Amino acid sequence: MAELRQIAIYGKGGIGKSTTTQNLTAGLVEHGKKVMVVGCDPKADSTRLLLGGLAQKTVLDTIRDEGEDIELDRIMREGFGGTRCVESGGPEPGVGCAGRGIITSINMLENLGAYTNDLDYVFYDVLGDVVCGGFAMPIREGKAKEIYIVASGEMMALYAANNIAKGIKRYAKTGGVRLGGIICNSRNVDRELDLLRAFSKELGTQLLYFVPRDNIVQRAEINKKTVIEYKPDSNQAQEYRNLAEAVINNTKFDIPTPMTQERLEEILLEFGLMDSADDYHI
Amino acid sequence: MAKLLDKQRYKCALGAMQTVQAITRAIPVLHSGPGCAQKLSDSIGSSGYFSPNIFPCTSINEKDVVFGGTKKLETTIENALKVIDADLYVVLTGCIPEIVGDDTGEVVSRFEDADKPVIYASTAGFKGNNYIGHEQVIDAIIEQYLEKSEEKEKGLVNIWADVPYQDLFWLGNIRELEKLLVEIGLTPNTIFGYNRGIDQIGKIPKAEFNLLVSPWVSVGNMKKMEKKLGLPWLHLPTLPIGAFETGKFLREVGKFAGIPEETVESVINEHENYYYYLIERYADLFLENRVINKQFSVVADAQYALGITKFLANDLGLVPAKQFIVDDTPKQYREAITEEFKKLNFNLQAEVIFETDSYKIHEQIKEHDYHGYPLILGSYYEKELTESLKGNYLNISWPVQDKVVLDDFYVGYTGGIRLIEDIYTVAVQRFN
Repeated sequence: MAELRQIAIYGKGGIGKSTTTQNLTAGLVEHGKKVMVVGCDPKADSTRLLLGGLAQKTVLDTIRDEGEDIELDRIMREGFGGTRCVESGGPEPGVGCAGRGIITSINMLENLGAYTNDLDYVFYDVLGDVVCGGFAMPIREGKAKEIYIVASGEMMALYAANNIAKGIKRYAKTGGVRLGGIICNSRNVDRELDLLRAFSKELGTQLLYFVPRDNIVQRAEINKKTVIEYKPDSNQAQEYRNLAEAVINNTKFDIPTPMTQERLEEILLEFGLMDSADDYHI
Repeated sequence: MAKLLDKQRYKCALGAMQTVQAITRAIPVLHSGPGCAQKLSDSIGSSGYFSPNIFPCTSINEKDVVFGGTKKLETTIENALKVIDADLYVVLTGCIPEIVGDDTGEVVSRFEDADKPVIYASTAGFKGNNYIGHEQVIDAIIEQYLEKSEEKEKGLVNIWADVPYQDLFWLGNIRELEKLLVEIGLTPNTIFGYNRGIDQIGKIPKAEFNLLVSPWVSVGNMKKMEKKLGLPWLHLPTLPIGAFETGKFLREVGKFAGIPEETVESVINEHENYYYYLIERYADLFLENRVINKQFSVVADAQYALGITKFLANDLGLVPAKQFIVDDTPKQYREAITEEFKKLNFNLQAEVIFETDSYKIHEQIKEHDYHGYPLILGSYYEKELTESLKGNYLNISWPVQDKVVLDDFYVGYTGGIRLIEDIYTVAVQRFN
């Protein structure tokens, strides 16, 4: 049996981490892989497409209401194609410490024996940027050793990706975590593919896959389904299958080389995304 | 790079629970982990109306970290008000709720209409030590409890000096300072110790001015009171010990308060006559003994390092070696404090080192040539060191392990005499 691959997905807020993770999961399931998805976001919306709705009670809600003496099936639900879905959840917005919440719930999953031998993949879908130690939990303590950053050709997405790479580099030294590549969730900006390739190269990694933009993703989301489940014959479903294959076959894992803000802006300028001050006209 | 701090001489800001405890019938309500109070309460002489460390506490755990501990805090305050008969409830926050971001102020504000006052001070350990925590508690009283008073009481003066319990002589010192002010015709008001509490706190705004006797602790409190309560303040950085500094102290207070010079001088004169009568009787001991050599070092907070250095130089004619200030004095005060050490009689100047690491302090003491037996006045940490140097040692600063002080003190004329007694007791014991 192949070794369990634990994968953390990071990226700027709103970039499409959850959508990409779930569609990728659906692709892996079609390959017969056994996958668990752990949502690490207080909003608890990382498994909605796999479960066909948000009805899931989060780990932290359960701990809050029932204490720590609970059974695994109270917090884990089976979703599309037998995927196991868990939402870490978190405190009410504005109180408590969501970062610590993630640490608590991942420890809880371990204690309850969620990491069974038959699993091929565990995905951690982590909120936004790495905001504090808690959100780095999946890549600490030898959990996820493999990371993909979802980005697009937009400046803030690349800025966030570079920042996340700094966090990965920190933990790479001690924990053995590696960056598996950038997944581009396209926003159809100018020369996006070129830019992402250049950015990935500078970051010392690869552009693992370029997912084109297609409104079918939004339609599938409204129907609370992954694209593969919603329209298995569509082009976009095939794209996600290809992405799944890219992940399965990926053997390139690097310690990233995050760049300075100046260098990042140089790359952006080179690909025409940022106008230099001289070109500025009203 | 992180370094090892060897034997520091203070606690974290939550140690300010001792400041609260020194106010009679005031109780700390801790919003902290369960072990904090236990670890912080190693001072003796702190039991009484309330225990030394068994305070209402939220004892927050992982669940409170994740979801916030404000609910638990609310019920803890609620129940403290029900079962503990206190006059003032001071909520003190530890590190955990401050990192998590619990809005303690908002929770405390829900008790505005409670029968007893509830206030809160942010005393997270990462904000600084218990000297800073002490200031935070006083600030909380000023900001959340006191109101400006149009009515003033003639001659009423608030005195602020030592940090209770951190300074083992705090009670005796503050009482002696009170007595000195009474003698020149003023009415002192203090909030710590026996028979002082919420009533005295209530009188703070009615005072004519604040008197701060401390190099730096509470300077911020004085500024806050000046702004909010319109209270002018007189800052005397030196704790007056012995005739020289106490005379200076009385003259400056008298001048600031508008007391006739002759009143002040007659008080000084009466004290000095007795003070020098005693010194004269024992002059032989001071002059003839070969045990107390000329050079000394004080290892203490800024308050004691400055007060004792001035006393030993000005009144006893001893020569200061290096003096060590161990309270992690904030940088902005260090220059002024260093200057104070240059204002000694007989053209003496003392070199002062701000250092919190005992190892480094001890290395410097070992390297210095004291021209005989070193005289070291410091904490218990200096005992073994001084013994190894065959020196004379007196425990005057925290931590204190070989001395019991109920209400002894070193302030004023009497305090100076007490300090002489203690130092020369060590001297005569040497060969007896």
